[in-house]
Amino acid sequence: MAEKAILFDATKCTACRGCQVACKQWNGNDEYIPTEPNGVKASNRGSYENPPDLSPSTWLKIRFTEVESGGRVRWLFTRQACMHCTDAACVRVCPNGSLYHNGLGFVEYNKDTCTGCGYCVDACPFQVPRSTRSLLTGIAKMDKCTLCTTQGLNRLDDGMEPACVKTCPPGALQFGNRDEMVAAGRERVGTLKTMGWSGANLYGENELNGLHVMYVLDDYPAVYGLPAAPRVEGVTRAWKNVIQPLGWAVGGLTIIGLGMNWLVARTNAKKEAK
Amino acid sequence: MTHHEVEKYRTPVRVLHWIHAGSFVILFLTGLVLFIPGLAFLAEDSWTRLIHRIFAAIFVVAPVIYIILNPKSMARGLKLAFSWGKDDMGWLKAAPGYYFQGYEEGMPPQDSMNTGQKMWWLMVIVFGVIFVITGAIMWFAKTAAPPAVLQWMVFIHDISFIATGTMFFLHIYLGVFHPLMTESWNAMASGKISKEYAKAHHARWYAEISKDKE
Ligand code: HEM
Ligand code: SF4
Repeated sequence: MAEKAILFDATKCTACRGCQVACKQWNGNDEYIPTEPNGVKASNRGSYENPPDLSPSTWLKIRFTEVESGGRVRWLFTRQACMHCTDAACVRVCPNGSLYHNGLGFVEYNKDTCTGCGYCVDACPFQVPRSTRSLLTGIAKMDKCTLCTTQGLNRLDDGMEPACVKTCPPGALQFGNRDEMVAAGRERVGTLKTMGWSGANLYGENELNGLHVMYVLDDYPAVYGLPAAPRVEGVTRAWKNVIQPLGWAVGGLTIIGLGMNWLVARTNAKKEAK
Repeated sequence: MTHHEVEKYRTPVRVLHWIHAGSFVILFLTGLVLFIPGLAFLAEDSWTRLIHRIFAAIFVVAPVIYIILNPKSMARGLKLAFSWGKDDMGWLKAAPGYYFQGYEEGMPPQDSMNTGQKMWWLMVIVFGVIFVITGAIMWFAKTAAPPAVLQWMVFIHDISFIATGTMFFLHIYLGVFHPLMTESWNAMASGKISKEYAKAHHARWYAEISKDKE
């Protein structure tokens, strides 16, 4: 199956937040309730941005950023949701494979088998996964955007676009084969450059071996609040690639050593007894 | 106690030992399921993680209660863990010959804990504290601590897990299976060992307690 991707054009986004609504509606996610234990507390921060953060029931939101350049205030809008990374930190750390890549390159998850450890929450370079969590018992469940491939709610299997793409009025969101999205993104960046946006770039083409949500930006990623060089942290890699093999090696050698000691010591003890 | 036996461990120490050992085993197993991908399906729906927390509480509270009830005994134990001398070096040198071949000649006289037991006891103290600190941060500061800190806590928790887990195998092996440690199990089970065993394995300690009686 060909890899698919979303292309988000920040220069076309009007922050109507239709995508936020469509996402909640399709996936049956209630509004967040600040008084609930896992709700995101609302606070007046002098922004139209709402809700203030992602949550287990808010998988997508538009971030508002105000920047000053050349004496002019610019109001920038960025999509905040799972990037569906090829080298996905969350997939690496998930202890039991509840997070995995599907055939389209998206990062899906099986909520039924989620252990609630929350390692993905800590490992994601974009702070995407969120979990409901009882701080006392530790009982938790993670949620995030699945690009509308959630079992039972799979739009793509039925030949539809993701809900956010379907609803976007100014056409800031496109969905299609990844290579086509890359081509469209590059072309748009080229146009922006000729218009004088020297910092224009296509974010996500190569980041983490390729994101499945790419961004057309007219300025550097950091301006939009995106990490300039997102990466899977060393400690994230160390856990599965160093610590786990080390555990097997040390554990295995110990047991072999003890077995050998037992054989030798028993033979000697028997000899002694005679 | 028959006349040829001596008391090695009093009841409170043994109760603490078994509660701590039991909770360690359960913490080991409920942690293991997150550590080994092939077993991680057992952790579904957070249940093993809840059990990990319940026994973590016991793992911490048991020694605290012991310290409150028997502060002097704990102080003695701690002192022992940190008293190291030339006999310990001698023990380390002679240990391979003894534990494999049964050569008793080079073994220096030992305290109520021999050098190996002292090393394990010291590990229990040091890694116990590390377990509690890293575990408590992962438990209670899950939403408050920076993500990188939480990841390092898992890392350090795992190092302690590998270190103490493998040495725990050794501990059980020496206490239960090793052909020469015939009464080690009794010492912790009934609290008593024979005078011969005490003399052979803990000569310095045996000399001390015999002197006290006179
Ligand atoms: C003494 C207090 C302890 C506390 C408070 C504690 C707490 C925790 C917490 C919070 C986690 C993270 C996963 C989760 O949220 O459920 C964890 C994981 C773990 N714990 Fe503990 N723990 C303790 C002792 C131990 C002991 C004694 C062992 C083993 C001998 C152990 C072995 C593990 C292992 C193997 C993991 C999994 C780490 C991984 O995913 O690689 N823990 N513990
Ligand atoms: S953005 Fe985060 S949650 Fe999404 S695939 Fe990448 S690491 Fe996983």
